[in-house]
Amino acid sequence: MSTPVAGAVIRTTGLSKRFGGGRRPGHHAAAVDALLDLDLEVRPGEIFGFLGPNGAGKSTMIRLLLGYLHASRGSATVLGLDAARESVAIRARVGYLPGGIALYDTMTGADILDYLCRLYRRDPVRRQALADRLEMSAATLRRPVRDYSRGMRQKIGVIQALQHDPELAILDEPTEGLDPLMQRAFYDLLDELRADGRTIFFSSHVLSEVERVCDRVAIIRQGRLVALHDVGSLLTSRKRHVEIRLAGPGPALDGVAGVSDIHRSDGFLSCQLQGDPGAFLAAIAGTQLTDLTIEPAHLEEAFLEYYAEAE
Amino acid sequence: MDRVLFGRTVAAQRTKVIVIALGLAIWGVFMPLIYAQVIATEIGEQVKALVESGVFPEQLTQFGGGNIFTLPGSIALGAIHPIAVALSCVLSVGFGALAVAGERQRGTLEVVLARPVSRRSAYGTLFVAMVVFVGLVSAAGIVGSVASSSVFGVLDELDVGNAPMLWLNVTLLYVALGSIAMAASVSFDRLGPALGIALGLTVISYFLEVLGSLWSDAEVLQPLSVFHYVDPQAVLSGQAEPSDLLVLAVVALAGVVWSLIVFPRRDLAAPS
Repeated sequence: MSTPVAGAVIRTTGLSKRFGGGRRPGHHAAAVDALLDLDLEVRPGEIFGFLGPNGAGKSTMIRLLLGYLHASRGSATVLGLDAARESVAIRARVGYLPGGIALYDTMTGADILDYLCRLYRRDPVRRQALADRLEMSAATLRRPVRDYSRGMRQKIGVIQALQHDPELAILDEPTEGLDPLMQRAFYDLLDELRADGRTIFFSSHVLSEVERVCDRVAIIRQGRLVALHDVGSLLTSRKRHVEIRLAGPGPALDGVAGVSDIHRSDGFLSCQLQGDPGAFLAAIAGTQLTDLTIEPAHLEEAFLEYYAEAE
Repeated sequence: MDRVLFGRTVAAQRTKVIVIALGLAIWGVFMPLIYAQVIATEIGEQVKALVESGVFPEQLTQFGGGNIFTLPGSIALGAIHPIAVALSCVLSVGFGALAVAGERQRGTLEVVLARPVSRRSAYGTLFVAMVVFVGLVSAAGIVGSVASSSVFGVLDELDVGNAPMLWLNVTLLYVALGSIAMAASVSFDRLGPALGIALGLTVISYFLEVLGSLWSDAEVLQPLSVFHYVDPQAVLSGQAEPSDLLVLAVVALAGVVWSLIVFPRRDLAAPS
């Protein structure tokens, strides 16, 4: 049976991975630091987003956690087990969806799911529910994978990663190839897993889905961690653009907490709002207005800002 | 060894193994058939007299270590004929090279290794599968020859009791080649280099043995070839050299040791 995890589900300390660099004498291939001094903790029961553009080091991190790669420096533990020495035990308790998953084309979807689950020596307790949610009927699963579309292959990838109900799911770009309806179904699945106490490590470069799904997010750039935040507080702390169409005199907003960049023109006022909107709402109370728009904060601005700062 | 992976590997290779086993069995039928219907007849006697008159160089008449004018010699010639070698190499060199590098290139190895299967266990399972496949098809060829000898009434010229030793010798040859192929397979991310090295070594090895058997000055090169350690005629005549089996076993073991050291230590980057 699996051991309950008291502390972090994933913990990395100074985790680094360097590729190339000529381990052999006279070999002068340029070294590439795919991951550099990464310190990270993923807590039990959370959906943790690992965000970065292609080539930032997301897949390298995952491959280090699962023992495909060997760290150049630093250490990682997954479910309390050492990623370098106990990767087989880790993989027994983890479900993994690789980015751009490859499947055996001659096998049927059902056969692949059976085969991959038997390698775990566990029952596919969640398979039927997952198949229903992702609209993979029994008839579809009886077809050979070579007849599947990209989206159907990705659904098989999601089911194979979660069908045995792992304590931790590591999902690399999980919504690649899924249509918007299936993406929504997938997000609901993640919510259910979280409600059941499962932990999900979620790598993506799609900001909107990380914002929609994740509790916390780490932003990685060129192998370095540039930010690690709670998604809710990250968005709350962002500046939101406010527009007011006035039917009378404008409110006095100078000096109101969280309000900045105030611009006024004929019958129109715009400003930036940061943090708790209570003071702003109190300040505009009684103002005659025809329209009020507060644009929601998006992770995209934060992401771009972190990337701009790191340049 | 992982039973689930073994079962899946056998299922995936089943058709190929059956086809090659049938091919080698049919090939095994041919040599006793030719011996019984042509060589052991009056025409064969005339050809034998012509050959023994010295018209042809002795090396040509002894190609493959077999005296074609005897049943064991005919079977020996069939066993090391390029057709038999090519068929057997599909499941030793071909399967061996594909086993890891091919799966790696396709991306399917990553899915298997996401399960609690260690790299050593995965390699060991695939190696055992290769040994089983090679053993089966080698046996098919020998069974074909023995059955054919019986059907065509020349079985009394063959000591069937030596057949298991021939099977062991031939099987060890292809296990050694398969082991080298798998050592190449675990060392590369792409199939091309692994298959190139495995096939290249096999072809060079075969060439050295053939060259040495046809040209006395090149005999010194023969011990460098793994094919040198298979002598079906001697084995069928009850004169098997245990040292030949030992050399082949050592080559196979060297491939296994290399693989068990290199494979777990390698970085498996994301398939491109």
